[in-house]
Amino acid sequence: MRRTCLSTAIAAALLTVTGSGLSRAQQIKELTFWSHWAAEMPKRTFVEEAIKQFEAKNPGIRLKQTWYEKTALYAGLKTALRAGQAPDIFYAEPDQVEYMENGFLLDLSDLNWGAVEPWAKEAWSYKGKPYGLPLEAWTVELYYNKKTMADLGLTVPENLQLSPEAFLDMIKKARGKGITPMALGVGDRPYPGAHVVHEALLKKLGVEDYDKLLKGKVAWSDPRVVDTLKWVRGLIEVGMLPNTFTTLKLAEAHIYFHTNPGALTFLNGSWYTSRAFNPPDKGGQPKDFPLGIMKFPAVPGAVCNECRSIAVGGSYVANAETKHAKEVLAFLNSFLSFEMGNRWLDVVQVQTGIKSDPAKLTGPQAADYFKMIAHTNAGAKYYFGIPIQVLNGKPKEVFIQVMNNAFPAGTISVDDAIKQMAAAY
Amino acid sequence: MHAGAGGRRDAGLTRPWGTITAFLLPALTIYVAFTAYPAFRTIWNSFHRVLPRREEAVGLANYTELVGDEIFWRSVRNTIAWACTSPLIEVSIALLLALALYARIPGARFFRVAWFTPVLMSYVVVGILWLWIYNFDWGPLNVALRALGLGGWTKAWLGDPHTALPSLIFVTSWMWVGFNMVVLLAALHSLPKEVIEAAELDNCGWGAKLVFVIFPLIRATLLNLIVLSFIGKMKIFDLVWITTKGNPLWATETVSTYVYKRAFEWTTFDLGYPSTIAAVWFVIVLSAVLILTWVFRLREKLEY
Amino acid sequence: MPALKRALLLIVLCFYTAFAAGPFVWAAMMSLRTTTEIHRNHFAPPVPAHWDKFAEAWFNSNYGLYFVNSTQIVVSAVVILTIIGSMAAHCLARYRFRLNRIIYFVLFSTIIFPPQITIISLFQILVQYGLYNSKIGLTFVYVAIQLPLTIYILESFFARIPSDLFDAARIDGYSDWEIFWRVSLPIALPAVSTTIILNFILLWNEFLYAVVLITEEANRTLPLGIQRFIGDTQEDVGMIATGLMIAIIPVVVVYAFFSERLIQGMTAGAVK
Repeated sequence: MRRTCLSTAIAAALLTVTGSGLSRAQQIKELTFWSHWAAEMPKRTFVEEAIKQFEAKNPGIRLKQTWYEKTALYAGLKTALRAGQAPDIFYAEPDQVEYMENGFLLDLSDLNWGAVEPWAKEAWSYKGKPYGLPLEAWTVELYYNKKTMADLGLTVPENLQLSPEAFLDMIKKARGKGITPMALGVGDRPYPGAHVVHEALLKKLGVEDYDKLLKGKVAWSDPRVVDTLKWVRGLIEVGMLPNTFTTLKLAEAHIYFHTNPGALTFLNGSWYTSRAFNPPDKGGQPKDFPLGIMKFPAVPGAVCNECRSIAVGGSYVANAETKHAKEVLAFLNSFLSFEMGNRWLDVVQVQTGIKSDPAKLTGPQAADYFKMIAHTNAGAKYYFGIPIQVLNGKPKEVFIQVMNNAFPAGTISVDDAIKQMAAAY
Repeated sequence: MHAGAGGRRDAGLTRPWGTITAFLLPALTIYVAFTAYPAFRTIWNSFHRVLPRREEAVGLANYTELVGDEIFWRSVRNTIAWACTSPLIEVSIALLLALALYARIPGARFFRVAWFTPVLMSYVVVGILWLWIYNFDWGPLNVALRALGLGGWTKAWLGDPHTALPSLIFVTSWMWVGFNMVVLLAALHSLPKEVIEAAELDNCGWGAKLVFVIFPLIRATLLNLIVLSFIGKMKIFDLVWITTKGNPLWATETVSTYVYKRAFEWTTFDLGYPSTIAAVWFVIVLSAVLILTWVFRLREKLEY
Repeated sequence: MPALKRALLLIVLCFYTAFAAGPFVWAAMMSLRTTTEIHRNHFAPPVPAHWDKFAEAWFNSNYGLYFVNSTQIVVSAVVILTIIGSMAAHCLARYRFRLNRIIYFVLFSTIIFPPQITIISLFQILVQYGLYNSKIGLTFVYVAIQLPLTIYILESFFARIPSDLFDAARIDGYSDWEIFWRVSLPIALPAVSTTIILNFILLWNEFLYAVVLITEEANRTLPLGIQRFIGDTQEDVGMIATGLMIAIIPVVVVYAFFSERLIQGMTAGAVK
């Protein structure tokens, strides 16, 4: 008698425990989240804190985060999407049109787009609808070591843009002293080498014709293009780039510039900070590194020396087949506010597609850095997107091999490069 | 009727279909499900555009596109060049080493084990090791060159389109010499002693002995090894993927890396075109192997 | 051979040995040093030797997980291969029926198949059947890719067994299965162990199928795991070297134990 009473009691207790556990489990929705930036601590910290904040405000939602390196992430996503195993929210960049073309992404029209810069929204628009949250935006900046510059007896003009002659002179002087003029490496990325080429072409042709060039409506054999490429070739031949250019990885290129062996300049996206402002033992620049930023030099015969590229970088997109669409949209919306925009600027120190105001920053380091960025971007005319975001299919593949890798490495001539690009369209 | 040793099949048995099926079924099921069916499906894919949610029949469109695909033909040239040069290097060096061991030098056992270690390593391991060896700044190769005063010869071995492919061919040769050597050594040991001793009695010099006596006897083994190595190099993927991924400028692009890129890294999700590449490549490999075996066997017939 | 020639030959061979085994030794040395030590001097001996790096690699860098996955997948695949491979080989070698040679030829010819002809469809098929990204799926694929070679090696061995033994066994009333299990297999043990070792080595090091069919971290095999560390960040050379050692050592051990038999088995096939 007692035994059955006891067992009933135990059974009842178990039921209530598991029962309440079940209902709690039913209430917690778990969203899967995959992102790049595993090693870029400022960005990762920003996102992790945003997630924590969101989870605190929404107790019924949890995010299961997995942080990746970019190549591994892309590889995993490509197959996971096909296999129907993709996460609810993941990192993507606007050049990945194949996601939108195949209907893998959730339509994000219902987000708070008033808080986003119109050109950033445009970068993610496909057939009139937005599919990505443009968190990161960046410009191509020419970083330089102020001390080395001074040691070489050179000065950067007031408007921060060297003339072609002064730039060439700078390169020669640096090489003369055994210093690599520009750190750059394409060991593990398809775009850094091309920065030299596309910034030069943009300035020479101006926004409209540059756009036409990339889209195949202006020929690569156009004399202006040929002249520009010849000019770039001239710089390469004087030894502008490191001799490990083709195998130097992105992280290594940063270190090459600011620590070992040290270069004079570094042509990189303005997200330089996300690696360089890490502590030195985690790959960051040394404390008190004399960082300066200048504009890309003027190009001979250029139509628009104040033109520069601005691109949307890391963004978050949603899986069209997610079972928690409402929660996903709520999460993404939590990023779209002026405070979040400014917080991004403060913590990460890279531009953002969310409307924000660097002038309102409070932290000293961020404020200084953004003053420099504001200076180099003063009076700029923007072209939206870097070539690999604009090109597709075969032209993109050839562009990566030719303009990002072989041409800057000096292994093919101007004529060969032009022939290959022309044949790609 | 009594076959004695080596008799092949039980002659007087009526075919016990039940047993036969039972024995063969597991193996054949897996074979059909994971090899035969996928092969046919790939060929079927090659006539379609295979997208995640739908498939469209496109007839020969993929094949026409393939004919004009510069990158594909470049990768074919690279792979075939690889498959032709690497076996020759591997087998010839292996032969020399096997002869050295055959000549009974001290420490043969140790040498044999040491030379075989590269074969045991995964291509992934080998790839990483050689990435380090070829490193411009601190890789042993360039360091040694600089130490010998040949600093001018240092290069970014895997970054220069002219040296990238030869560098990788060098790596596969390094890897497979040990395997070929072991097989050749066994072949040498299995040669009839009388013939070798007869040659020695005739006062043949080492060179003559090698060319006229030993060589013809192990010809079959040599050719087998070359064909085996050829087939292996036609399939190569892992090494390239770890080291250069086909760069720079498609200098190291092989058919397998190109198929993988088109299937999983291109900006479309279409699996039809890479299937086309796979189908065409399959025909090329099969033809090459048939040609090789035909050529080698034909010569043998002519001798006798 | 005159002594001078011998000495010269020995010197050449020693150089070659350094060349062949050098990278392995270098990796072994680096596996016991930290990355900072390595960057200071890439070729110094491991003094002090950081044996704890292996534990760190195992537990913190997930090498333990990859090792376990590899073991599960490869051991299962090899066991299945041995059983069904020897069954099929026995049948093809000993029973005469019309389809026999056709089946044998079809199986044998797939050794030449380049993996691309099946890999894309395998990806589609595994996704369709929910086996994508699973260890079971990969195990089956591994069995399939090594089946032709296994059957080829075993069939030629089984065929050489004198039929007197089978006749005697039949007279003794053995059933077909018992003939296989008690007569064929024990005699063919050398060939079977050769295929076991060969399959183990080849599948342990297999990369292409694994990289296409497994993307989830929890299911990664050792080669995939190592590849993951050549990432975007500063190359942690020391950790990668330790991982390389973890990957190489099982194969070296298997080889060391079975080297004689392995070479006998391989050469038997290639020489004849």
